[in-house]
Amino acid sequence: MTEVQLDLTVNGRRHRLSVPAHYSLLDVLRDELELTGTKTNCLEAECGVCTVVLDGKSVASCAVLAAQCQGREVTTVEGLAEGAALHPLQEAFVEFGAVQCGYCIPGMIMTAKAFLDENPRPTREAVREAIAGTLCRCTGYQKIVDAIMAASQRLSQQGERA
Amino acid sequence: MKLEFLAPQTLQDAVTMAKARGDAARFIAGGTDLVIQARKSGTWPEAVINLQQIPDLGEIKGSGQNFSLGSLVTHRQIEREGRFAGALEALRESACVIGGHQVRNVATVGGNLCNASPAADMVPILLCLNAEVALAGSEGRRVVPLASFIEGPRKTKRAHDEVMTEIAFSAPAQKFASAFLKGGRRRAMEISIVAMAGVVSVSRDGKLTDVRLAMGAAGPKAIRLTEVEKFLEGKALSKDVLEETGRLAAAAASPIDDVRASASFRRHLAGVYARRVVELSWNRISEVGNDRSAA
Amino acid sequence: MNSPFRIIGKSFPRLDARGKVSGKAIYGTDFAMQGMLHGKLVHSPIASGEIISVDTSRAMAMPGVYEVVTAKDIPAQRYGSFVKDMEVFASGRVNFIGQPVAAVVARTAEEAEAAAKAVKVEYREQAAVFTTEDAVKADAPLVHPDWQEYKAVPTVKRQGNITNQARLVLGDVDKALKESYRVFTHRFVTNVVHPGYTEPRAAIAHWADGSQLHVWSNTQLPFEAQATLAEIFKITPSQVRVNVTVIGGGFGGKLRLGVEHYAAAAALKAGRPVKFVSSCEEEMTSALPRQPLTIDLTTGVTKDGKILAKAASILVDTGATSGSGVGVASSVMLMLAGPYKIPNLRLESRSVYTNKTPTGSFRAPAGPQGNFAVESQMDIIADALGIDPLEFRLRNIVREGDLAPNGQKLESVSLEECLLKAADAIGWKDRRPEPGRGKGIACAWWTTTSGSSGVYVKVGPDGQVFLNTGCAEIGTAALTGAAQVLAEALGIELGSIQIVSGDTASTPFDFGAQGSRTAFAVGNACIDAVGKLHQRMKEIAAKQFSAKAEEIEIDGGAAKFGDKLLPLKEIAAIAQTSQGGLIAHGTFIAPPTLHDKERTENMVITAINSPSFHAHAVDLSVDAETGEVKIHDYVVVQDVGRAINPTYIEGQIEGGVVQGIGQALSEEIVYENGIVRNAGLTDYKMPTAMDAPNIRSFIVESPSKVGPYGAKGVGEPPVIHPPATIANAIASAVSARVQTLPITAEKIVRTLTEVSETAK
Ligand SMILES: Cc1cc2nc3c(=O)[nH]c(=O)nc-3n(C[C@H](O)[C@H](O)[C@H](O)COP(=O)(O)OP(=O)(O)OC[C@H]3O[C@@H](n4cnc5c(N)ncnc54)[C@H](O)[C@@H]3O)c2cc1C
Repeated sequence: MTEVQLDLTVNGRRHRLSVPAHYSLLDVLRDELELTGTKTNCLEAECGVCTVVLDGKSVASCAVLAAQCQGREVTTVEGLAEGAALHPLQEAFVEFGAVQCGYCIPGMIMTAKAFLDENPRPTREAVREAIAGTLCRCTGYQKIVDAIMAASQRLSQQGERA
Repeated sequence: MKLEFLAPQTLQDAVTMAKARGDAARFIAGGTDLVIQARKSGTWPEAVINLQQIPDLGEIKGSGQNFSLGSLVTHRQIEREGRFAGALEALRESACVIGGHQVRNVATVGGNLCNASPAADMVPILLCLNAEVALAGSEGRRVVPLASFIEGPRKTKRAHDEVMTEIAFSAPAQKFASAFLKGGRRRAMEISIVAMAGVVSVSRDGKLTDVRLAMGAAGPKAIRLTEVEKFLEGKALSKDVLEETGRLAAAAASPIDDVRASASFRRHLAGVYARRVVELSWNRISEVGNDRSAA
Repeated sequence: MNSPFRIIGKSFPRLDARGKVSGKAIYGTDFAMQGMLHGKLVHSPIASGEIISVDTSRAMAMPGVYEVVTAKDIPAQRYGSFVKDMEVFASGRVNFIGQPVAAVVARTAEEAEAAAKAVKVEYREQAAVFTTEDAVKADAPLVHPDWQEYKAVPTVKRQGNITNQARLVLGDVDKALKESYRVFTHRFVTNVVHPGYTEPRAAIAHWADGSQLHVWSNTQLPFEAQATLAEIFKITPSQVRVNVTVIGGGFGGKLRLGVEHYAAAAALKAGRPVKFVSSCEEEMTSALPRQPLTIDLTTGVTKDGKILAKAASILVDTGATSGSGVGVASSVMLMLAGPYKIPNLRLESRSVYTNKTPTGSFRAPAGPQGNFAVESQMDIIADALGIDPLEFRLRNIVREGDLAPNGQKLESVSLEECLLKAADAIGWKDRRPEPGRGKGIACAWWTTTSGSSGVYVKVGPDGQVFLNTGCAEIGTAALTGAAQVLAEALGIELGSIQIVSGDTASTPFDFGAQGSRTAFAVGNACIDAVGKLHQRMKEIAAKQFSAKAEEIEIDGGAAKFGDKLLPLKEIAAIAQTSQGGLIAHGTFIAPPTLHDKERTENMVITAINSPSFHAHAVDLSVDAETGEVKIHDYVVVQDVGRAINPTYIEGQIEGGVVQGIGQALSEEIVYENGIVRNAGLTDYKMPTAMDAPNIRSFIVESPSKVGPYGAKGVGEPPVIHPPATIANAIASAVSARVQTLPITAEKIVRTLTEVSETAK
C-alpha cells in the first residue's frame, strides 16, 4: 500500500489518481496530468519555478507531497486565462516586457496571483518581497515588478467595477 | 522507494500510528524540511504521518499577555498576525525571513522547532519569550521549556511518537519591545549565519530591565545570552554598554566555519547584532503601545 | 522626435510572449516522446585517477533498467573547441569530481537514478591539482597525461597543463615602466560563477533507423550540436537533426553540448528515445561555469595621469578541459588593455587545466574578469595620483579613429559620451554624499561576435511572412528584434511575421545565439533577403502590369507601377500558382575586422568586431559593521548603435546588471579539494528580487557601419561592469578595496579591520 488515492481539483477539473506516496505535487502535475506549464528546476523550493496556487496560497509544488493535497484545489498557470483572454497578470507581463526566456514566468505569475489576492494594492517594495522566492535570471526583476504593479491596478479597478 | 502515507484525522490516531511504526515513521507538517532532505539524501522514512488534518493545531490563540501557537501555524500566519504587531514584532520579523512566500505558506512553526536546525529562525525569539512546547504522545501529555527541548543540531527531547501540539508563551508583564535581526549574504532566501532576537523592558527610571537576548546559528543550538542579559540588567543604554554587549555576545558564540561564513565573521556579527537588537528594541519601546505597567 | 522608422525603435511585445505566459510553450524539460526512456549519469567521486573497472551488473538487475552506457559503447575519440580534450564518458581516467563515467537508462528517471547509484566503478586515485598556480609548476601532476596526443587548432601553444600561452605586445614596456612617474602592481582574482539559467539542460535523442539521429534540446547552437554529435558518433552532420525547444535561459551555458550526447549514446544502445535532464547538483558540479582568473596587472603612468604602459600576467583556470577558456585567455587581453589608449603593452596569458569542473562561455566570456581588474586598478591609480577617477579615465579613453591595442582602427566611438552621461546621471560631483556612502564608475568596450547567418523569408498567400532562421531564441527577444528589422525593410507589420527557428534540417545555417550577434547578424540576413524578395516582387509585378522590372517601385510592402498597386499577399499568391511560392534566402557574414597581426601571438581571438561602448555607475552604502552593501541607484549608459526594441534592450541591461551584481557580491561555486561545497541553490546565491536594485538605462545610439540600421551587439555588455563598478563604489564609501570576487560582506569587514589595524 505505497500508493495513495488522490482526489485533486486542478484548474477546476476533478481528478482521481493513484500515485506513489513520495510523489510531489509537481510530479503529479507534470508527469501524471501532463500539465507542463508548471516548471521544474531545483527541487529544493529555492527557485520558485514550480510555484502553483494551492487553496488560494502560493506553494512550491516540488516541496509539497501530492498526498497532502487530498481533496484540495490547485490552480496552475494553465488555469488563469479564460479561453483566449489572458489573465490581467499575463497580459501585463506581455505588455511590460517582463518575459524573456520565460521559464520562471509561470511560477512568477502564480506567486504574484496569490499575493495580489491577499494584498490587492501593494507597494513596489512589497512586490519585490513577495516574489523573492522566485528566481529570474533574465530580467533583473524590474519589468516583472512593473507588470505586477500594473496588473494590481487593473485588477482592483475591475474589482471596483464588478 | 516504499514510502507509506498515513493520514490520521485525530491527534490520538497520529500518536497511535507513530507508536506502532516506531522510528521508521516520521510526522510531516509542511514538509519543507522533511521532503527536501529526503529527496536530497535519497532516503525516505518508511512512512510519513500527516499532521495537517488534525483539528485545532493551526490556530494562534490568546491575547494580552498569554499566547499559544498551534504547532501547524505557518510562518505566513505569524508574519501577518495583527496581535504580534507592536511589542511582539520580533515574532513577525523572524517568520517573515524564512524562505519565500511559497515556503512560508506551508512551513510550520512546529516543524521549525522539531527539525532543530541550529539556524532555525523561530527559535531565538521564542527562547526570549520563555516559550514552552506541549507534546502529546503515547505516554500522555507533557510541557517542556523550549530551552531544554532542543538539545543540539537536529536533536530534541521529543520521543518519536510525540506530536508537538502547541507552543505557549507569556509576554512580559511590563512594557516591552522586541526585535530580530539576521545575517546572510542576500536580503531574502537566506539561511541565517547569525540570528539574534531580543526582548527588553525599561524601568521607570529609564534603565534596562528584564532583558532577554537569544542567538541562533552561532553554535550547535540557539541559546539565551544570559551573561549579556545579566550585564544589561539595570543599565542605561550608552555607547559603552552597547560595546560591552557586543563583546559579551561575541564571546558567547561558538560558531563553525562553513561555506556560508567563517567562524570569526559569525562571532563578529554576533557582537554587532546583539548590540543592534538591544538598541533597536530600546528605540522601539517608546513607540509600542502596550504600557501594561501603567495599567 | 520624428523617427524615420515604422518598426525599428519601437517597443513591440516579443512574438513568443503569449505562449510563455500561458504555460503553453514547450521547453526542453517539457518535451516528451512516445516510448521515451530516462537517463541518469554516474559521476566520478574523485578528482583524478584511473578507472580500473566498471561493474554494471547490479544496476542492470534493478527494476526498470534497460541499459547502462559507458565509454565502451561509443567510438573512442576526443572532441573540443580549440583542443580536443573532451570525452562523452571518461574512458581511461577521470579528471574532476562529477565527471560522467556511465549512464543508466530506465523506464523512469527515478529508477535510473536509483540504478546509477548501483553502478560500481573502481578507481586508482592519483595526485590532482586544484589551482592554476600549482598547475603551471614544472612538477605539477598532469590533468591530461596524454595531452600531446590530443588534436588542437594550430594557433595554440601547449605545454603540460597549459593549453595556450598567448601574448599581446606593443612598444617597449620595460622602458616605459622605467620612465613612468609611478608604477602600480596589483593582483585581482575572480570567482567561478554559474550562468544560472532557470531551466536545466535537457535533451531527448532518438535514432530513427540506427543511422539517423534526431535530437530535441535546449541548446543555444543547434548547428554546433549537430557537428559535434556527428563527430562523436562518426557519422556525417546530415545524419544528425537537431531541433531546439523553447529555451529557459542560456547565457552561454548552453552553447556546448549539455546532455545531448548522453541522450544520443543512451538512445543508440537502448533503441528507444531517451531523455536526460540535468539535476541542480549536476548543474553546480559539472556544467560550464565562468572561468576564474588570476590577473597580475602592472600599470605605469605619468604625473598628469597618462597611462604609459601596461603589463599583465594572466592565469585562466579552465578546469578539467580547455573549452572556451583558451578563447577567454585571448579576449581577456583585449579587455585588459581597453578601452584605453596605451602606447606600450605586454600582456601574457595562459589557459590552464585543473582537476575541477570544465568551464564555458558564460555571457561576455572574459569581460567581467578583465574589467574588474582594469577598472579597479584605474580607481586605485586615480586615488594615488589625486585625480578624480572619471577625469583619469577621460584622459586615457579611446576616441574616434584611435587604434585599439590590436591595432584595429576604432569607429563610432561613443565612450566619452557614455562616461559623461553615466557620471551625470549618478550625480558624480557628489561622490561621497555621506559617511558610508559612495559612488563608483566603470567603462568598457565589447565585441559583436561574427559568424555567418542565413534566413529564408517566405511569404504566404495571406501576406503572412515566415522568418525561418537556424538561430535559436534563448530569451533575449533578439529574434523579435530580427523580425522588426525584417518588418521594417519589407514594409510590413511586425504582427504579420511568424518565426520558425532552430532546426538543422529545415532552417538555414546560423552561427547561433551567442556573442551578442543574434539581432545583428540575423537582422542583416533579413535585410539581404528583403533585397532579393523586392527583386522577385518587381519581376512578378512587371509581368502582371506588362511592364519592365526596373519600372516597378516597392512601396510599403507592395509593388507599384504608376498608380497601380500589387500588394505583397497578391504577389505571393501569384508566386504560389506560378513559381513555387515567394521565398528568399538572405545571408550575412560580417566583414573581417582588420588589425595588426604583429601585435598578437598565439591569440585565438584577436579583434573587437563592431565594438560597442558603455559605462556603468552606482550609488551605494556600505554598513561598515556588517559589511552589507545597499545599492541606492544603478545607472547604465550603453551604446547599442541603433535601438531596435528599447524595452528588450532595457531588459538585457537590467538582467545583465543583476547577473553582474551576483558575480560582484554573492555568487561563487566554492571548491575544497575539487569538491563543490555548495552544489545547490541554497548556497549558490543568485540575487533575488530583494537584492536587485532599480536600474536606470540610458541608450546611446552611435550607429555601426555593419549592423542592421546601425545596430551593435547588445546582450553581453551589461554583465561586464558591475563587479568593477561596485568594487569602486565600495572603496569610495568605506575605503575597503577588495580585489577578489565576490566582494562578500565578510571580505569587506575583514578588509576594513585590516585597514584600521594598519592605520593604528
Ligand atoms: C527554500 C527554503 C528556505 C528556508 N529558509 C529557512 C530560513 O530562512 N529559516 C529557517 O528557520 N528555516 C528555513 N527553512 C526550513 C523550513 O522551512 C522550516 O524549518 C520550517 O519551519 C519547517 O516546517 P515544516 O512544517 O515544513 O516541517 P516538516 O518538514 O514537515 O517537518 C520538519 C521536521 O519536524 C517534524 N515535525 C514537524 N511538525 C511536527 C510536529 N507538530 N510534531 C512533531 N514533529 C514534527 C517532522 O517529522 C520533521 O522531522 C527553509 C526551507 C526551504 C525549503
